[in-house]
Amino acid sequence: MTAATGQNAQLAARVRRARRGRAVARALVGVELALVALPLAIIAVWAFTDAWPWPDLWPQQLSARGIEQALSGRQNAGVQTLALSIGIAAATAVVSTAAAALACRALCHFQWRGRSAFQFAALLPFIIPSTVFAMGVQVVFLQAGLARTVPGVVLAHSIVALPYAIIIMTDITRAAGTRREDAARTLGAGTWQMLRHVTIPQLLPGILSSLSMCYIMSFSQYFLTLLVGGGKVQTFVLVLFPYLSGGDRTIACAYSLVFLVVTFAVFFVFELLLRRFGVREGDDLYD
Amino acid sequence: MAIISRRARRKAAPYLMVLPALLLLAVFAYGVGSGVVQGFGVMPFLDRTEPALAYYEEALTRSDLLDSILFSLYLSAVSSVGALIGGVALSAVMTRAEASRFVRLAGIQVPIATMHALVALALICLFTGAGLFPRLLHVVGLAPDATAFPSVVGAPSGWGIIAVYLWKEIPFVAFTTLTIMMNISASYGEAASTLGASSLRTFSSVTLPLCRGPLLRAFLVVFAFAFGSYEIPFLLEPTVPKALPVLAYIEFQDPDIINRCYAMALNGIMAGICTVLCIIYYVVLQRERVPKGRP
Repeated sequence: MTAATGQNAQLAARVRRARRGRAVARALVGVELALVALPLAIIAVWAFTDAWPWPDLWPQQLSARGIEQALSGRQNAGVQTLALSIGIAAATAVVSTAAAALACRALCHFQWRGRSAFQFAALLPFIIPSTVFAMGVQVVFLQAGLARTVPGVVLAHSIVALPYAIIIMTDITRAAGTRREDAARTLGAGTWQMLRHVTIPQLLPGILSSLSMCYIMSFSQYFLTLLVGGGKVQTFVLVLFPYLSGGDRTIACAYSLVFLVVTFAVFFVFELLLRRFGVREGDDLYD
Repeated sequence: MAIISRRARRKAAPYLMVLPALLLLAVFAYGVGSGVVQGFGVMPFLDRTEPALAYYEEALTRSDLLDSILFSLYLSAVSSVGALIGGVALSAVMTRAEASRFVRLAGIQVPIATMHALVALALICLFTGAGLFPRLLHVVGLAPDATAFPSVVGAPSGWGIIAVYLWKEIPFVAFTTLTIMMNISASYGEAASTLGASSLRTFSSVTLPLCRGPLLRAFLVVFAFAFGSYEIPFLLEPTVPKALPVLAYIEFQDPDIINRCYAMALNGIMAGICTVLCIIYYVVLQRERVPKGRP
């Protein structure tokens, strides 16, 4: 009798402790969300600020002047610049993800000589700073006629994005395994049928997150674009960056806000796609 | 005949599959390599082919260069250790709070997707003389005017640079461990706590060991990134010492093309330090794979 009561009390105490722990954790997550939101919020407010005298806590006058300039850009090329950046980022995402998907298939499902050496080499762009690569490759690209061209910029971006794609694709390729492919083969599927109905669908969540990661990498690349593009390939970041280091804060924040909106819009689209095609992968596990 | 060719195809398949990635990596290696060679004063396009160690020697003995190396090491060490600790904590807290998909998106994916330089801009808006934080201090009566608060731009401790990296990389580290932690909490965690283990004990003896590989990799990535990236120190650093990539770029841009050799020597040192780290990582990983029972 007393033993049972004692056990019940112990259990109740444990449940209470668990609940308190979760409440504390929730509060901490709230703090983190606020810390994430604060910088983004201040940029959004400054983007519409016209006058903000010291020591007011809220701008005195708001206007859309900054946003207008950010969208029209230098010589009214704002939208074109955005389109070019999006194009470069999309091309980068496709190149890196395709190369990574193929390589990861070889890494996960095949035994071959040089496999571990390749695995090591694939990490190098992660580890050796892209500034080192950018300064070193400039002369090489000049000689090859790739400097100051869009394909050159896409190539350079793809190299820097590759390790991210490889890490994402390795995880999913390993998790997918070869069982379903083997089954499809046994049932008489040809290579294309297998790719279309088995391989690509089961890798799709990874392909989507790799695409979105590489897209973001390319879209926010400044130094590499500056050196390889030589100022001739004007991406949005290249136009934005000089405003950051001084001058008109409203314009700087307006450019940044446009940048954030475009990034998150793309991000949101990929998230929707992931939900549409990849829910089972992630959500089985923890939702 | 047909069998042989199929076997040959099977053998060639993995090599064909890695070919595109290998080409990209080859361009990377060629680019880095050509830079490192220029650091020895070899510039075939200028008909200079005699290798010399002078630039490396000077890079390691000129006091401003050495200061830059140390400053960069300091920035990246503090940022990466902070990001590692913060990332593990964030991941654990998210797991404990049973954060919804939306919260995980907002708290982890949003900072990962935000560009570094924009975070620096936000810090400038918050912590320079006329920023929001000094205004708040003024309202509560702690700052008499706009000059009373030390600006984040050019702070000798580089705290703004570190803050930007932490804001970006804590969620990045958390991202690499969150799925593992959530899976553990759903399976092992329950078992451990039914057996009476405290949650702290479960965390240190079950969760952390299982996250070791990804954590090590994330740490390395953050360190290398903070060590070698140009934008954030350029925007927020003090006049002296300059971070290594900024200094390298200044030398690189110098109209006197010989100064490029100094830039490339600095780059060579950066690449060298990062490669050594990479090898350490690789060795640690390989050692981990050795089965435990072996003598």
